[in-house]
Amino acid sequence: MQLLGLGAVAAAITTAVALLIPWLPESASKESTRIHFVYWFTTVIAIVVFAAVVAVLAYSVIHFRARPDDDSDGPPTHGHTTLEIVWTAIPAVLVTAIAIVSAVVLAQNGNAGHDPLVVKVTAQQFAWEFTYPNGKTYGSLTVPKGRHVKLEITAKDVIHSFWVPQFSQKQDAVPGQTNSLVITPTHLGTFPVICTELCGLGHALMRSHADVVTPAKFTSFMKNGASAGPPGLAVFNQNGCSSCHTFKPANATGKVGPDLDDLKASAAKANRGPLDKFIEESIVDPAAYIAPGYSDLMPHIFKEQIPPDQLQQLVHYLSQGAK
Amino acid sequence: MTDLAHAHDHHAPAPPTGWRRLTAPGWLRVLWVTPIGFGLGIGLPVLLRWAAGWHPLWDGAVLVTVELVTTPVFFLIGLGGFDYWAHYASGRPTRPEDHSGHGAHSWRDYFRINTDHKVIGIQYVVTTIIFFCIGGLLAMLFRAELAQPGDQFFNPQTFNVLVSNHAALMIFLFVIPAFAGLGNYVIPLMIGAGDMAFPRLNALSFWLLPIAGTILVAGMVTPGGGPSAGWTCYAPLCSHQPLGQVFFNMGVQWAGASSIMTALNFLVTIITMRAPGMTFWRMPLLVWANFTTSMLVVIATPFIAGSQFFVMFDRVMHTNFFEANGGGYVLGYQHIFWFYSHPAVYIMMLPGFGIISEVISVMSRKPIFGYRLMALSLMAILVLGFSVWAHHMFVAGMAGWLRVPMMVTSMVIAVPTGIKIFSWLATMWEGRLHFTTPMLFALGFLSMFVIGGLSGVYLASVPIDIHASDTYFIVAHIHYVLFGGSVFTIFSGIYYWYPKMTGRMYNERLGKLHFWLTFTGFNLTFFPMHYIGLQGMPRRVADYASRFADINLFISIASFGLGASTLVFLYNMVYSWKHGEAAEGNPWRAMTLEWQVSSPPPIFNFDEIPQVVGNPYEYGVPGARHAIFGAPHPEPVGAD
Repeated sequence: MQLLGLGAVAAAITTAVALLIPWLPESASKESTRIHFVYWFTTVIAIVVFAAVVAVLAYSVIHFRARPDDDSDGPPTHGHTTLEIVWTAIPAVLVTAIAIVSAVVLAQNGNAGHDPLVVKVTAQQFAWEFTYPNGKTYGSLTVPKGRHVKLEITAKDVIHSFWVPQFSQKQDAVPGQTNSLVITPTHLGTFPVICTELCGLGHALMRSHADVVTPAKFTSFMKNGASAGPPGLAVFNQNGCSSCHTFKPANATGKVGPDLDDLKASAAKANRGPLDKFIEESIVDPAAYIAPGYSDLMPHIFKEQIPPDQLQQLVHYLSQGAK
Repeated sequence: MTDLAHAHDHHAPAPPTGWRRLTAPGWLRVLWVTPIGFGLGIGLPVLLRWAAGWHPLWDGAVLVTVELVTTPVFFLIGLGGFDYWAHYASGRPTRPEDHSGHGAHSWRDYFRINTDHKVIGIQYVVTTIIFFCIGGLLAMLFRAELAQPGDQFFNPQTFNVLVSNHAALMIFLFVIPAFAGLGNYVIPLMIGAGDMAFPRLNALSFWLLPIAGTILVAGMVTPGGGPSAGWTCYAPLCSHQPLGQVFFNMGVQWAGASSIMTALNFLVTIITMRAPGMTFWRMPLLVWANFTTSMLVVIATPFIAGSQFFVMFDRVMHTNFFEANGGGYVLGYQHIFWFYSHPAVYIMMLPGFGIISEVISVMSRKPIFGYRLMALSLMAILVLGFSVWAHHMFVAGMAGWLRVPMMVTSMVIAVPTGIKIFSWLATMWEGRLHFTTPMLFALGFLSMFVIGGLSGVYLASVPIDIHASDTYFIVAHIHYVLFGGSVFTIFSGIYYWYPKMTGRMYNERLGKLHFWLTFTGFNLTFFPMHYIGLQGMPRRVADYASRFADINLFISIASFGLGASTLVFLYNMVYSWKHGEAAEGNPWRAMTLEWQVSSPPPIFNFDEIPQVVGNPYEYGVPGARHAIFGAPHPEPVGAD
């Protein structure tokens, strides 16, 4: 009787912990809603198992405590075949149930329907690139509400991982192969895109955002592109400069590399020609001059990666914004 | 050990004098032999590069790779790790064993090649606790950084080094070898053997450990930067790291070699050296646990050796095992790595299961409930453990069909684990529970491991794992399994066998204080991590979204408390070793053989070979004996 009471108390406390704390982020995709269902399904089973174990443990601690001078032994029970079969069978049934529910949800979440919007996602140290069927590329993801979106994810250098907590879906970006991931947004809004696979020094700041917009807005986005800013800003964001550098005009707060707000002072200190030349050299050949207090950590890939016209836009943007 | 009588009249030979002190095995020889290895490590690659006309002659990665082989090998030669075998291999008549390298007569005997499993066990445990403290300090440092978002104390490079080495030291230099150390001390005693099957191999396998640890620690302070790709060291990131990464790759090799040697030794010892009457079904569960663990180690460890060599070759020799643009298979690394590193989770847990079985049975004064099923469930975990590795790769982009089968096996492995939990509970039921420190840690383990096991079921489910993978939920899960699981059992085992190892009792009040501080600090530190992980905080980040600031500050403060609780443990261990109350041979009134001899045991363990006549946990059975000493004629082995 008291054992049942203890079990009920343990179950009540565990249930309260499960319900009162908002464990999961709000769901913003169909896939996420299904994953949340598996989560709650498992949680119910976990609460029962946990409460049972805790109840037996607590009961034993209370009732079977030996007095300090008690040298006697307990009853020589060696086992109980039926009981042992029961506690082998019940967990087996429970995990089988979880496995079946999981497999069904996994299959549903991998289904992109017959006319998905296909967006190519390319990850690199330390930026995301999203390329749309019309060939345009952006540094953040814009998707229409209610339509299947199939992300085709790859990486240029090392392994990264694409995750939007509100979509729940996650997929590693692996160099040399393309992995796909299905998302069906259900809520309008802006959600964080996070890299979850350690990818180097800028990993913590390899963030972007996903905008879920109405289908009408999305149509105009596909036609006109994102709201205009200086062309250099797009280059800045696409190449992940913000992961490592602080630059107020771009709202960048990275601290791995030198502060670009101080570019003029740095250029004067470096004394390597005019500001524009200094900026360009620092991008295409980062090792040529290394600011005091820093080391040769900046990737040497931008010479090949940034086309000449974009490089000029970026240099212009940085030199204008620099104080 | 056949010649027990010999043990009593052995005299240590006279210590070498004059120039012979320089050639005799020991630290003096280390001092001049090790530099030869160091010189060879530089000379050989430079000479070969010069002969081949390669430039530059001086390549850091190549030099470090060769150095980390030659210097340790010559260190071991100096210390005397290979003397007997070299002598034997040269064809000269072998010297009769004088047992001069066996047992400890002063503290100096702990600092040389010693063939006594009891000395080696203590060498292991003390060494691993030192690395536990270093690994813990690293965690304190990065928790300080994580107390606030943004960069406070460390740049991302240093932060990644701290995180990578915290995990590497805790796994390779603490949990795995701490179990090997406890097993080393206890197993021969438990099965009624005089020593391990291969005492010289045993000595060598210990000395590989400080080498591995030194290499890992040295890697952190290497010019150019330490290993910063995480303990998982995923390719291709790992092949493009600063020089310190090579230290990591090589350090793991030495730790792995040590682990394999010990496991082989355990296997041969357990199979061939059990006392008369000790059938497999009469073995204590700790011996069963180490038997299965050793099989895991022997089969799985070569895979991590392979993974670390390949990923290092990609860097040092410019091979393309895992380089996509050279035709390599990036995910191949993860498959090979986890084919070891998942079984490694059981390597880090099964010996703990063994410890808990001993402690709970003795402290509850009852036989283990369902002994045979307990042993069989260990074997089930051993077999299933090899079929679940890819659940670490559910989001990696591996073959899609592999996900569901790997989910099913990962779920099924919860069944034998559940059997063990329920059997421990049933063992306690109606017992006479004595809440000594080892028992408290056992109960702490039981409750925390249930949480870790249940969060493991969440992660085995592919859809949930897709959400939770690579977040702080994973960090919480592995700490509930490896800290709430493994570390609690290690503490339990250390307290339980402390009287046997040192001949003195630890301070019970300090032990209990240590338990409660650890238990509280542990939960306050790791439980909130489940929440921030599910909410969206990825692991291995030096900086994070500001909405997680408060809870991270809380976690950091709790973790400092958890770290401080270790000081109570250290003080208790060190103080009691010198000033503790003298321990009786059998302070816990246990039936297993190690408690039937004095504390600490005689130099060759048993003055007479015990005759095993019954099961090891027959508490409460009237007149039951596990073993008798001084039987005139060994009884035939029973059918049981």
